[in-house]
Amino acid sequence: DMELRELKVCLLGDTGVGKSSIVWRFVEDSFDPNINPTIGASFMTKTVQYQNELHRFLIWDTAGQERFRALAPMYYRGSAAAIIVYDITKEESFQTLKNWVKELRQHGPPNIVVAIAGNKCDLSDAREVSEKDAKDYADSIHAIFVETSAKNAININEVFLEISQRIPVVDASGASAGKGFKLRRDPSDSRRNCC
Amino acid sequence: MMRGFEDCEGEMHNSDRTSAEMSNGGDAASSKTLTLLDRLRLCQPAWALGSPWTQEAVHTALWGRQPGSFLVLLDSMSRPQLLCMSVGGRGEPVKDFPIRNTGAVLHLSESHLGFSDLDQLVAFYSLSRDVLPVSLFIPPCVFGFTEQPEQVLSTLGPKSWLCSSLDPSHLIPNPSGLSMCSIQVTSANGALCIINPLYLHEHGDNWLMEQPPSKTGSLLARQTASHRRERRLSTTRTWQGAGLRKFRGPSLDQEPSSIGCDGSASPVTQPPASPAAPVVLRRSSQPTLDSFKRRGHRGSAEDIVTSRESTPLSSPIPQSPHRVSWIEDGVWMSPPPLISLLHPPSLELDSLSISSLEDESESIPSPAHTPTHRLPLVLADKVKHRLSAVGQAIGGLMSPQKRLTYRVQELSERKSGAFAEGVRAFVEKIQKGGAGLHPSATELLQEVRGTLTSLRELLLDSPEIHALIDSMGDMAEWDIDAMLELAIHKALLKPVQTYLYASLLDYRNRDGSMQRLKENQNTMGKQNPEALGAAEGAGLPDAVILEKIQQRWASMHQAYSPTKKVQILLKVCKSIYHSMSANSSPGAAYGADDFLPCLTWVILRSDISILQLDTDYMMELLDPAQLQGEGGYYLTSLYGSLFHISSFRSRFATRQLSSEAQRSLSQWHRRRTLHCDRSRRTGNRRTIRKLSSRERAGPQTEAELQDRRMPPDSPEEERETRASSASQADMHHKAEGGLEDVKEEEDSRPEGPAEECHGNARLKSAERGPESEESVEVLRTTRGKPAQSPKKGSDGRPWSEPRGHEVLWAVHEDTDRDSQDKKEKALSRLST
Repeated sequence: DMELRELKVCLLGDTGVGKSSIVWRFVEDSFDPNINPTIGASFMTKTVQYQNELHRFLIWDTAGQERFRALAPMYYRGSAAAIIVYDITKEESFQTLKNWVKELRQHGPPNIVVAIAGNKCDLSDAREVSEKDAKDYADSIHAIFVETSAKNAININEVFLEISQRIPVVDASGASAGKGFKLRRDPSDSRRNCC
Repeated sequence: MMRGFEDCEGEMHNSDRTSAEMSNGGDAASSKTLTLLDRLRLCQPAWALGSPWTQEAVHTALWGRQPGSFLVLLDSMSRPQLLCMSVGGRGEPVKDFPIRNTGAVLHLSESHLGFSDLDQLVAFYSLSRDVLPVSLFIPPCVFGFTEQPEQVLSTLGPKSWLCSSLDPSHLIPNPSGLSMCSIQVTSANGALCIINPLYLHEHGDNWLMEQPPSKTGSLLARQTASHRRERRLSTTRTWQGAGLRKFRGPSLDQEPSSIGCDGSASPVTQPPASPAAPVVLRRSSQPTLDSFKRRGHRGSAEDIVTSRESTPLSSPIPQSPHRVSWIEDGVWMSPPPLISLLHPPSLELDSLSISSLEDESESIPSPAHTPTHRLPLVLADKVKHRLSAVGQAIGGLMSPQKRLTYRVQELSERKSGAFAEGVRAFVEKIQKGGAGLHPSATELLQEVRGTLTSLRELLLDSPEIHALIDSMGDMAEWDIDAMLELAIHKALLKPVQTYLYASLLDYRNRDGSMQRLKENQNTMGKQNPEALGAAEGAGLPDAVILEKIQQRWASMHQAYSPTKKVQILLKVCKSIYHSMSANSSPGAAYGADDFLPCLTWVILRSDISILQLDTDYMMELLDPAQLQGEGGYYLTSLYGSLFHISSFRSRFATRQLSSEAQRSLSQWHRRRTLHCDRSRRTGNRRTIRKLSSRERAGPQTEAELQDRRMPPDSPEEERETRASSASQADMHHKAEGGLEDVKEEEDSRPEGPAEECHGNARLKSAERGPESEESVEVLRTTRGKPAQSPKKGSDGRPWSEPRGHEVLWAVHEDTDRDSQDKKEKALSRLST
């Protein structure tokens, strides 16, 4: 049987870069009648299998407007990962991204996995941020980097897959600690058969 | 399908006969009274909804309604498509059951029972829940109109249909808080079909009077409980009689016209429903003996074969508790336990519905030789008098939550006992003005949260609660936690809610924050949505929706349970989303960029001081286990939005305010981390409880024990080779076979660096869900704590246990504070 890990993922980035579209794209094909859909796109969940674990992403979107910036710590607190999104057609959004990286380094949870997503890669004609510059920057801070298109569903699952890969593997002690508590009540529990 | 329908018909004969027996001739005088079916048919437009209703709209409408409240969604051809019902759960409040149309037969896709029209289907499921989690709830008002019911009923709309379900109590004396609709169900409408005659043959009806045998509960407690039940029975009897007589008559006197009494009309060839369609649920009582016999014979081999084939279809409720969806739903309404028909159903009367019988027919002895002629006598005896009352008391609508809440309430009202005393001491303290004595509102609420947590632990150690939880069958532990939490809310928070709010307001007034909030509301309220950050042309709630939201805020304020409040908050947020997407292209995803300005706009048009108090209340009192989920997200947004308003001075101030925001948030987080640790420890305690109760439950084979203690293929062994010598000593104990030692071993388990409550790798066991992660964390935080024997945990001294952890919390808190202080300093530097 598989371990289920809940991973809180926070979305950061300027308003209009397509944060929620990325999540929407990620979540849309995962309709499961057993799981109630969330009430809106600001908070969404999706469970994926990664190796022998189930990763349930709890995706917290944040408002990208400057005026709400002071509220971001409420949202990224406790996150396992942050996806910082910029718009490859807007240089300014890439600068905002760098500020977010700094803030996370200073105030974010320790060991938070950072993923950088250059969205709207379908609009390469209007590109303002070169892929190489962005990739170099991401490498310099050891962040995941992908260019995505929520519109064309490009590289969306890959972002989350890479996050799954980077989430620290539960070490043996941690895993077995979980086992120690796995006191399931089997359906075949003897109490049922008493008559 | 066909078979299912025939079975159903067979059952209907039974039920008919039974109701005939029961009513002892009935009252012919009331033959003009409308039947349930007639009434349902008349007001069908109120509950069967076509375009423009959508699944989502129906869900919204049902959100938070009484469990069993339902609406049927029609497809574009006005055919029934989906039965949507409120099940009252936290994570999954509304469930859908697709309705299939096979030829002329309607059935729920998960059930074998076919019906010739929608009214019959609904009527049936209001009597017997079959595959549904609870029976359908028919609003009492439907039965209430005695003057010209035809006209009134046909003008009912969905709103009155649902709203009348909100408060059935004005119709019925309802002292125990039980839902009463199962009364109409149980006797009047032929609901006796939910009892298998074989069962009565096998067991008589004595079990109707018995409480389920509890392993640990005292005899006295059982007596008290049955006295209570008797009392309930007598207080409601008058109403029952009056209510039942009204529609008992027709069931006898209305002779079905188009269907032969011998049941020869094939269900498939039966014409679709028309307003004058015969009442299939009620037949003449004449042929029932025959048909019953027929069913009895048929029931043997054939039944078993078909039910084997169809079992997977007919068991929509997970058979095993180990499904992921369970974990994620967090619904505390457990699926019906798999009850063997061969032992008394205790509190699960309703699970003996027809499908359930079929599911388990393998365990039914061949009914072919059943002496059916005896049954009427059996039934006419005690059943006649008690069944309806019992159904009311323990029927499908008496959810596990209600039972638990009821019991906890009862425990809290006792003269003695640790729980009662704990509750009383706290309530008295608050009511005598103790709420105003804290240095801040936060500390007041912290004390409340601490009391909630302590009392929950206390209850987990109570044998009576054990017995009750055990009787509920297979419940996930986090469900139990959530249920207990809710139950305690009623006992503890309800009496002090007004006092707490008065104090909260007082604190907010004294430090001037309320004044500032209101001033800023005035300023910002004049801004247009764009100035608040909303996108150009964003959809905003119109006057009607805004009014609805105000009503929801009001009910959120009324609710004393923080969990319930958060559920209402989610409803409000959902309304906001609806408004946002009302005029947009379908499929547009509105994320936080759009939602937060919209929420802020709504808050500015609401009673902001009440909202602030409610937010304070929820932020501090909500069960920490809920903070990372959807409720936690929208609570964060509400808090953030209020913070945004209260800190609004000028557009240049944002930066400077960051440090203030940071400080406030980190303080909050520190508090909540602390409580999180506490609740984690609760998870640990639970393990002890389970272990010890398992041991009490009876002898088990050594192999079973071994299996539970340590899965042989687990990496645990690997870890333990690295364990300290102390732990190895524990292993040694364990090898000698003491179950308690598992717990000791866990307590002293050496671990890596203690992780913060919000540590990013949240590990869960798929079997156990949210609580397991907590348990893992407990291990980390309880490292070094002296091992305790589980006996100590269960002998009523839990109050002393938290002390053992305080040192550790302090360490945590200090570490946390240090790092937070550093962060804050850094931030202040940044922002200046």
